[in-house]
Amino acid sequence: MHKNFGDVYAVQGVSFDVQAGEIFSLLGPNGAGKSTIISMLACLLEPTQGDALVMGHSILREQMAVKAAIGVIPQDIALYEDLSARENLNFWGKMYGLRGAALRQRVDEVLGVIGLAERQKGRVGKFSGGMKRRLNVGIALLHKPQVIIMDEPTVGIDPQSRRNILDNVKELNQQGMTVLYTTHYMEEAQELSDNIAIMDQGKIIAHGAHDELVKIVGELDRIDLTINAEAGRVLERWQATEGVHQVSAENGQLTLLVDDSNVVLPRLFESASRAGVRITSVEIQEPNLEAVFLHLTGRALRD
Amino acid sequence: MKVLDIALKDMLRSFRSGFALVMMFVVPLLITGIIYSAFGGLRGDGGFDLPVTRVQVVNLDQPGPQFSFSFGQMLVGFLQDERLAELLQVTEAADEANARAAVDSQDAGVAVIIPPDFTTAALAPEGRASITLYQDPTLTLGPGIVKGIVSQFVDGFAGTRIASGVVADQLGQRGVAIDASLMQEVAMQYGAWAEALGRSRGEGAHPALDIQPPPSKTEPVSQGAGMMGPIMAGMVIFFAFFTGASTAETIIREDEVGTLARLFTTPTPRAVILGGKFAAGFITLIVQVVVLMLASAVIFRIRWGEPLSVALVALGLVVAAVGFGLFIMSFLKSTRQAGPVMGTVLTLSGMVGGLFTTGFQNLPAAYDTINLLTPHGWVLRGWKLVMAGGGVGDVLLPVLVTLGMGIIFFAVGALVFRRRFA
Repeated sequence: MHKNFGDVYAVQGVSFDVQAGEIFSLLGPNGAGKSTIISMLACLLEPTQGDALVMGHSILREQMAVKAAIGVIPQDIALYEDLSARENLNFWGKMYGLRGAALRQRVDEVLGVIGLAERQKGRVGKFSGGMKRRLNVGIALLHKPQVIIMDEPTVGIDPQSRRNILDNVKELNQQGMTVLYTTHYMEEAQELSDNIAIMDQGKIIAHGAHDELVKIVGELDRIDLTINAEAGRVLERWQATEGVHQVSAENGQLTLLVDDSNVVLPRLFESASRAGVRITSVEIQEPNLEAVFLHLTGRALRD
Repeated sequence: MKVLDIALKDMLRSFRSGFALVMMFVVPLLITGIIYSAFGGLRGDGGFDLPVTRVQVVNLDQPGPQFSFSFGQMLVGFLQDERLAELLQVTEAADEANARAAVDSQDAGVAVIIPPDFTTAALAPEGRASITLYQDPTLTLGPGIVKGIVSQFVDGFAGTRIASGVVADQLGQRGVAIDASLMQEVAMQYGAWAEALGRSRGEGAHPALDIQPPPSKTEPVSQGAGMMGPIMAGMVIFFAFFTGASTAETIIREDEVGTLARLFTTPTPRAVILGGKFAAGFITLIVQVVVLMLASAVIFRIRWGEPLSVALVALGLVVAAVGFGLFIMSFLKSTRQAGPVMGTVLTLSGMVGGLFTTGFQNLPAAYDTINLLTPHGWVLRGWKLVMAGGGVGDVLLPVLVTLGMGIIFFAVGALVFRRRFA
């Protein structure tokens, strides 16, 4: 699929398969094109070029069938705050075609799943952020969709609610639902996903299971450093240092991919000392998706 | 079915909003109520309850033996006419001093003192006589009414004297002898004619004018509500358009909070979602208009008119308000824009449509034409016709125009929204 907004190429020739019953993550920084892909798959946007099949239905020609098959959990909470939790679920259930006793039963079930049975009559506007998040998820589950699409559901929430949502995702997947998950948190993609597509600037730059992706960076070590001066004072020196493959600087932190950290680190200290710069912290990490992204793009995968 | 679900959801939200309820029901009644109170409330027939003015009359008129009647007594009788009983409480005082004392002690608002030579002076060609009005200086309205009534009576005598003079001149030129009895006869005949003229004008007719109502018109339904009816109609129309715009604003609000995009991810066609929004506005407006009409009928005793005609005009109002609201909102990007733009556009269009000048008389004729540039003006015209007793045939044109305008506004608004969310 391609998607252009005028001269902006938001998605450029993206193609991937998601197997039934798996958790598939789109991982990439903000602006990589993840949400645009989600919007196209949810039939909110039409591709400029190309098509996609969701449970065998074209997003261009069979939109109602696609929408009936998916449950979308938007990044921002999308609820009616002046209605109660139950009134919200009732309304959204009707929008998914549920009626009468079936609707009542399903609303009861979902209230139980998201842990809001006790607060079902409370106005959503008075709920905590975590409770709203759970209701936001619950709405997408009402019609028992075959595919759950989650667009960065953990952005801006507390660790406890984040943990709750990640556990929910796993639980839904265990119940047989296919999950398409977008995130810019490497740890989430690593924890949840069967398969991951790493995106940057509208393109999928790597695609596969976690272990397969990590192999891309081979045996390279990743070192995160902070220094007491501007990165520019050591950047060129370190790029030229023997054993260093890549250096990126972002938000006052330098990230390096190196052959062997035990050998390279003393060289980095020496080089920094010559430049009159002090290294104030060092962290050595095993190869991971961050390293993959750095390796493929030359930039760190951060907010 | 989903159309109704969306409409009911929107209505539930609207009716839970205190601000929306106040703007829909309380403010229109409150504004009309303030005007109502400012004029001291309405009587049962819709007229104003003016305070009764206590009047002391001293009739000193002593017509000569040549006259078989007294103009002074006629003025006393005129003031004591039962048709003026709701305005004046007239009692005869023994003498001028007592009448003035009653006013001084505020037992009376006005003293009317008829001079001794009133009849004689009225009929003499060069005669002069003055009626004295002695009034409580703290009062304005009551003495003004008394002055008007007395002036009207005296004007009649001026006419009598002119008529008598003309007759005397004419007869004199022809050599006919003129005596007092003949002059009395002339005065009596003129008096009878003037009285008949005054009565017919009091009933809204004039012998020189032949005013013919449309054939289908029946008795004016809300004659007494001549002022309050149009004022309330203006308020109903203005706040109905406000509600129409507010319900359309929910599309922008839902877009901002993400629920509209979420609705689009459900297996619900976009036309159904927009239809639900329209239905919400339509039903909400029907509730609002019906409640306001019933409430104003009870509180202000406004009689709106023949039910079928009223229903047609109300339908035109509802469709026009929903369509106009959608039209305005379709060009706005955010709810931050919506507030000031909605207020400005609705106020200006309401002013041009004549909604705030319904209580004013003698406005330039061109203003009536300018009113019709807006849907508000056409709706108002429909209401005025209904309240004047118009039937279905009379209101058909304004109703069709408002329906047409509403549908065109709705179509344009729907098209713009459709492109925006395509």
